[in-house]
Amino acid sequence: MRAATSTSVPVRKNTSYVSLFRKDFSKNWMLFLMCVPAILFFLLFSYIPMPGVYLAFVRYNYADGIFKSPFIGLENFRFLWLSGDLWRITRNTLLYNIAFILLGNTVQITVAVLMNELRSQWFRKTSQTLMFLPFFISYVLVGLFVYNFLSFEYGTLNSILRSLGREPVETYSNPAIWKYVIVLTHIWKNTGYGSIVYFAAIMGLDPEMYEAAEIDGASAWQRIRYITLPCLRPTFVILLLFALGGILKGNFDLFYNLVGSNTRLYPTTDIIETFVFRSMIVSFNFSSAAAVGFYQSIFGFLLVMTVNWIVRKIEPDYALF
Amino acid sequence: MSKTRLLALVLIMILICGLLGACGTAGEKEPADTPAETPSTEEPAGEEKQAAEEPEPDIDISEFVEISNYVLGDPPANDMVDKMLEQLNPILKEKINAHMRVEWIEWADYLTKYNLLLASGQEIDMIHASSTWLDFWPNVQKGSFLALDDLIPKYAPKTWAEIPQEDWEQCKYQGKIYCFPENSYTQYVNHGIFYRGDWLKEFGMEPVKNFEEMGEYFKKVKEVYGPQGVIPFDAHNGMSLWEGYIISNTDYVDVRVNTGRHKVLWGKSFEEPFELVAPVFEDLFVEYAKMMKDWDEAGVWRKDVLNFEGDTRANLRAGQSASDQHHSNTYRYLRVEMDELIPGSDLQMFAWCDTRGNLVAEPITHGATAIGRTSKHPERTVMLYELFRQDEEIYRLINYGIEGVSYVINEEGKLDRPEGFDSARDGFSINWWGGRVDKFELRQAWEWEPIWDIWAEYDKIVKKPFPYGRFVLDRTPIEAELSAISEVTNQYGPMIDFGKVDDPEKEVEDYRNKLKAAGFDKVMHEIGNQLAAYKEQIGEWPPASN
Repeated sequence: MRAATSTSVPVRKNTSYVSLFRKDFSKNWMLFLMCVPAILFFLLFSYIPMPGVYLAFVRYNYADGIFKSPFIGLENFRFLWLSGDLWRITRNTLLYNIAFILLGNTVQITVAVLMNELRSQWFRKTSQTLMFLPFFISYVLVGLFVYNFLSFEYGTLNSILRSLGREPVETYSNPAIWKYVIVLTHIWKNTGYGSIVYFAAIMGLDPEMYEAAEIDGASAWQRIRYITLPCLRPTFVILLLFALGGILKGNFDLFYNLVGSNTRLYPTTDIIETFVFRSMIVSFNFSSAAAVGFYQSIFGFLLVMTVNWIVRKIEPDYALF
Repeated sequence: MSKTRLLALVLIMILICGLLGACGTAGEKEPADTPAETPSTEEPAGEEKQAAEEPEPDIDISEFVEISNYVLGDPPANDMVDKMLEQLNPILKEKINAHMRVEWIEWADYLTKYNLLLASGQEIDMIHASSTWLDFWPNVQKGSFLALDDLIPKYAPKTWAEIPQEDWEQCKYQGKIYCFPENSYTQYVNHGIFYRGDWLKEFGMEPVKNFEEMGEYFKKVKEVYGPQGVIPFDAHNGMSLWEGYIISNTDYVDVRVNTGRHKVLWGKSFEEPFELVAPVFEDLFVEYAKMMKDWDEAGVWRKDVLNFEGDTRANLRAGQSASDQHHSNTYRYLRVEMDELIPGSDLQMFAWCDTRGNLVAEPITHGATAIGRTSKHPERTVMLYELFRQDEEIYRLINYGIEGVSYVINEEGKLDRPEGFDSARDGFSINWWGGRVDKFELRQAWEWEPIWDIWAEYDKIVKKPFPYGRFVLDRTPIEAELSAISEVTNQYGPMIDFGKVDDPEKEVEDYRNKLKAAGFDKVMHEIGNQLAAYKEQIGEWPPASN
């Protein structure tokens, strides 16, 4: 794609976009046709509903509908900073995603590299499968696992503590530990999947490099440090950019199923997504929920732009645009 | 060749765009095309003129219609409701040329489902409504229901005449009637805690009259039955005793302004209901927070109560919990049930009003019936309501089911179970709580008889009418503040309610600061002003007749 646009740059000088497009179209009309489903999809589910954002600026009532309800400007956004939660949810969303992306990728790369070093086929396949399994478990069940593990009366953790003669801990009223619980759960669930992607990338590396390094007397550690890791950089950047899309979507499943409506834990576990959900479901106010959603979109937009900008500075070839 | 293909492609694209465009505009126009107000105000207005000319207005029921009736609750596992409808519908066909269909709004997340249903624009004819537990006024303000002023006198004349004018006044928003109130049905729905009377006796304690005694009982249960796994008061995340604590310890009256988990604004007393107080800013709240922390530490509820959303009453029935929290109309039946399940359990109720007699009548819109703005047959729906309320045969069908199967009337004239009655197979319930009337109500052999003595006591102390019956808050100037305050109470409420705090005093302080930051003062000021205006509107208070 990038190559195609760069070759077309000189052409632009003497032809307009329209004629350029026409030429392009008649040459590649089959490709355009294949794009139609995707274009339609985004048109239907992303662009057409977009005017609905207007909901955030009106006092919504059912009889008048979205576009006829009275316009009230930024009134709906006022409750965001009145409740004092804006900073908290923004901070939590950002920090969690940084933790997920950095820690998650580190663990995935480590696991992939270790896999590569394993010589026993049988052991490697088995552990890969086992690590992959959590990826298929729904977060509802994961929430249940965590509850069964941490609950005060019957939780595994407290049973162990009791049998060791220690005091049981009240995990569900202690916000501090939830940062770790949530990040760990996320890593547990996604490592298998991510490491397979990295593993595949390692498999694709030219074995001659390793042979050459071995002949030159490079140790296993040196081979990893100077061959494998640098070669994984493109994969890492691409996965990072994919993960950014995920920030927009949030990790609602994870947070909602683990924390539920336990407000005691909100200081460390409330993110924009759960906040949107609450303002809709608990207070049933369409307009303020739309306002939070709008804020989330702006926030996500700025985030992606910023990271893309940073990536472009460091690795111009990998930037999204 | 390729040109024709291109042309075809372009045509397809145009077609698709056209379709999308059509969808878009249709979607936009819909709300404007079917405004609730226009048909309801214009059409009957025209008919009313007619009515003025002719004494007996011609009611057109030539078209057969099916009327939907939305009730709250889980659909019954047996087919008794269908059987009842099989008997009811032929009568309805004959009288008003209509059939009724029952739709259930299930209990899990009922408020969300209810609000969502109203928001969806789905066609709703008859629907249960309540100003105390189903957001009636906010939904009226959002335009969910149809104004009934022009329909009721013509299509429900008996009910129109039967309900006194001052009761209709309590159903009005901006001068228009939006529901039928359940105005002449005796029940008390004052809350309290149910507890095991047998254990109370065993501990040699007197019946509980206040929160301190309640706490002593809980701790005793923990001490004696705790080792067997009994939880003194099995609570779930949604419960809060704060309201009960206020009613038990003060004369304050609930203004019923929804501010999330904790209602932060109360009237000073029944005599001075227009004077606002904020109990969360009083020492009372600190005492409460300390007491709840003490209870939590004593193990009154499960340690992870904040994440528990199970059925606590099931645990009471199973003998695994020593108490439960709900209102006296629930007690009326639960008591009998418990006597059967755990003979000798002698379930008692500590009602909040037991401490100092702070009992104020419920608004008559606690139970009500409204008609959806989307209804295509509002006239017929009003006629149906008239039948429910004025025709004894139909009243019994909709309230009690089929005679001889779900109930019989015994020699004392009470409702009783027929021979060989099996509640799973023959039990009838449709949760019709929006139009019961005392004139047709029968005493029930399966209710706990002494409840009527308790209620007779309540009759003596209850202060009525509900002071804010005609007060509908205009939320617009303080919408953002109310949302923010709700967010704060929803967040801090559960921790304080279940004592999940390290230092109650500090937590209460934080809570208050958050409320202030969320615009509490503005809200109090605004509602105070609106109440002052309301006071002018209703004139003398308390009413002389009381």
